Amino acid sequence: MFPIINWSLVSLETLVGLTLVFLVVVDIVLPKKVERDWIGIFSFIALVGLSIFWLTQGSLSGTTFNGMFVMDSLAWFFKGLFLITMIFVFAMTQEFFKSLGERRNEFYLLLWLALMGMCLVASSADFLLLFISIEILTISLYVMTAYLKSDKLSIEAGMKYLILGALSSGFFLYGISFLYGATHSTHFDMIQNFVGTHAMEPLTIFALVLIFAAVGFKIAAVPFHMWVPDVYQGAPTPVTALLSVGSKAAGFVMLIRLFLGVFSAWHMQWGMALAILSAVTMTFGNLVAMYQTNIKRLLGYSSISHAGYLLMGAAAGTALGASGINFYLLGYLFTNLAAFLVIIVFSIATNSDEIADYAGLSKRSNLLALTLLLALVSLAGMPPLAGFFGKFTLLMSVIKSGYIWLALIAGVNIVISMYYYMMVAKKIYVDPPHSTSPISVPLSIRLLLTVAILGIVVIGIFQGPFLDAAISAVQGMYLSHL
Amino acid sequence: MITPNLSWILLLPLLGLGIVCLIPADKTALIRRVSNIAVLVPFLLSIWVYAAYDQVAGGFQFVQYIPWVVPFGISYHLGVDGINSLLLLLLGAASFSAVLISASIKERIKEYYVLLLITVIGTYGAFLSLDIFFFYFFHEVAAVPVFLMIAIWGSERREFAAMKLTLYLVAGAAIALIGLIGLYLATGAQTFDLVQIQQQLALHPLPINVQNWVFPLIVLGFGITLTLWPFYTWAPVGYAEAPTAISMLHAGVLKKMGAYAIIRFAIQLMPQAAHAWMPIVAGLAIVNIVYCGLVALTQRDLKYLLSYSSCSHMGYILLGLACFNVIGINGVVYLMFAHGIMAALAFALTGYVEDQTKTRNLDELGGLLKCMPFIGTCFMMAAFASAGVPGFANFVAEILVLLGAWHQYLWLTVFAVFGLVITAIYMLKAIRLGFQGPLNPRFAKLVDAQSMNEKLPFLILLVLLILVGCLPSVILTHIGSSTQAIAQGIR
Repeated sequence: MFPIINWSLVSLETLVGLTLVFLVVVDIVLPKKVERDWIGIFSFIALVGLSIFWLTQGSLSGTTFNGMFVMDSLAWFFKGLFLITMIFVFAMTQEFFKSLGERRNEFYLLLWLALMGMCLVASSADFLLLFISIEILTISLYVMTAYLKSDKLSIEAGMKYLILGALSSGFFLYGISFLYGATHSTHFDMIQNFVGTHAMEPLTIFALVLIFAAVGFKIAAVPFHMWVPDVYQGAPTPVTALLSVGSKAAGFVMLIRLFLGVFSAWHMQWGMALAILSAVTMTFGNLVAMYQTNIKRLLGYSSISHAGYLLMGAAAGTALGASGINFYLLGYLFTNLAAFLVIIVFSIATNSDEIADYAGLSKRSNLLALTLLLALVSLAGMPPLAGFFGKFTLLMSVIKSGYIWLALIAGVNIVISMYYYMMVAKKIYVDPPHSTSPISVPLSIRLLLTVAILGIVVIGIFQGPFLDAAISAVQGMYLSHL
Repeated sequence: MITPNLSWILLLPLLGLGIVCLIPADKTALIRRVSNIAVLVPFLLSIWVYAAYDQVAGGFQFVQYIPWVVPFGISYHLGVDGINSLLLLLLGAASFSAVLISASIKERIKEYYVLLLITVIGTYGAFLSLDIFFFYFFHEVAAVPVFLMIAIWGSERREFAAMKLTLYLVAGAAIALIGLIGLYLATGAQTFDLVQIQQQLALHPLPINVQNWVFPLIVLGFGITLTLWPFYTWAPVGYAEAPTAISMLHAGVLKKMGAYAIIRFAIQLMPQAAHAWMPIVAGLAIVNIVYCGLVALTQRDLKYLLSYSSCSHMGYILLGLACFNVIGINGVVYLMFAHGIMAALAFALTGYVEDQTKTRNLDELGGLLKCMPFIGTCFMMAAFASAGVPGFANFVAEILVLLGAWHQYLWLTVFAVFGLVITAIYMLKAIRLGFQGPLNPRFAKLVDAQSMNEKLPFLILLVLLILVGCLPSVILTHIGSSTQAIAQGIR
């Protein structure tokens, strides 16, 4: 019998899907001669419309498709993050691919597909749907990473990402099958029942490790981080931005749903493992980032270290930790997107991503220099910017759960990261410029930069409403035992 | 009666900062004028707050309270007692002088004033906050502006100095933050509000095992800000290479945030742990006094000499903190003020000398009293103050600390007194080499501070130094009720 579907719960995904199908069909049906540049602008407007629609969905909760699909406060929160990210990424694409002409329009379709995947990841309540949605997301990312056909680095990045991504998908499926063997189900609620009533045994440990490998690949946690530097450097910068924010957030919504929801009863067993991974990840990312000369690689390693900070919230295993992750990601989103916007404008103007070329940026464009400075300071976690309160919340969560040593390691890491962020800040504000030609910033990017700066500052100073949102996202979570 | 509104002390300079940001970078005269006003206004307000504070009633006054982050119990809570109203006055005077003295900055003026104003506002915020979160928040706001100011406008080794100072301070802050969060979680009161935590802990003191890990973290973290030996090495190089205004503010005021935090959040809230740990700090304090003093003796660079001297004098503050009696705490608060004014004055004068002569090397300087009598005289006064000559504020403060420490740490106090002798030696050496003796012919044409505008920043600080030195009772009665309350709590 065909299950009864509650379409209101899936309305956002339906609209995304319809837009995607519409664009694909139009792209095929329209004669080759017809101008297609409107696709970008149409997509942008559609995204803004979807964001407004998303605002009305805050109170939805429930499951449908036989319990495979769940719409709850957590999914709602993350879909908001994904939509904001996409608005930025679409605008970045518009600028970045100006030189590509027609081929740019196919890129938008891939972006829509990635958005679809991310939204489904946030709403999965069954391992099969989760696997499929992760694949939707990742496959579109493979293609986008290798999109610059004439650029060796881009091809290499796409290849690396594909091979390691396929490996991680394999791990994930393997883990799911072991878990199915133990629990006889792929449904999250059934598995949670099983976890609540059974102790951990070798079979389930094995399954959990494999599943974490897949999550770790998405969030770029050590030792599943190998792809990050090369892919971040080689991929077209809008894709790098999407990887560092959207794809990472998708990984964390999985992590929260699985490890703070489904497997939360076993927290005693995996909590310490995650704490150790968190410490290793943040330390590794920061130590290696110190030696980078390419800004995209630097942000790549820095994004590994941020995965480490974020893992603290998961290691804590509490509602506070999960809220901390949510808040941190919200601040991280604006911060990192601001940085990547600057990188895109800079690389279009100077054709370079080398940190050495950023020397004296403040004399060439005030706005770019200021934005990058604020982004770096926020990433370093200094008040009054968004990154500070995120770190504060996560530190609080681990101390509350008794991992004081982890908090101290995080403290050391804040100092290390301060060093390399400030080295870049010094480059842009202190060193003399190689060339004095001013860099012009297009109006659309100027607007986005302003939005990003406002995001960084407002979240950093008026933390209350955003923290409330992050907390209520966890409180209304499906299958939550926190 | 109209009572001062503490938020204005934050908001008006913030408004000034906003205006400076909007002025085009080439209108330098206007930028300077707006910045001067933006620090003068809070200075005047601080004087008003100081005068209006009711020292008989004591406690926190002019309180403002807005809940900020409800789930964590964070609130925008401003208020002053005797201690922080005095520190506001210190900050007001030092920041006003520092901005006036910045007239000698000639390049990237707009950026300079923007960063300087952020630093000043952050420090005001820290001294005004009665919420532990917001204290920390404001105290960290200054970190990045200070880094940039040293790196851009500093002298020769500026980039190294900026990075070293920033990394040390951030490390200290991170350690302290973990301690503060631990404190928050351990009280169980779900609030960062200092007043509520005080009440809670008065009824239910923290268990000793919690105090024993939270207390050292807070003291170590803020101790780094306060140049606790052996974590002081950022300060000499940082102060020496920084632009004058930052040396003044940092040595004078910003590092005092460390002492303030140790009094308020560590000693007062966790007296049992304080009794266990502070004797160790007292021992380190003596190393501070003697070791840094001896290093200062060997310096040929005037700014390095003053920087080491500043680290050495922090030893007295740390020693006073370890006394647990009202005399000692009075001495600490008094010394925070006196040393702040003295350090700001000495660095301001050194900056003036360096601007004129292009050197700070004592071997090249000499006889400056002949060509700049005003500056030279002021410097001599500052040096005397630093050496603890009666009549200046530092004398009163240091005597109080030594008296307070006498019964607790007899032998340490003997060494601390010895530190005063060392100070006298290097300060006299600085005067002799720099300002007396034959005038280097290179400097024959130098001009003294002429107009009132040029003299004003020095005069404000000098007048305060002497006034407070001659009338100690003014300050002692002002801070009396607040320090008394702390001393009773920790006995």
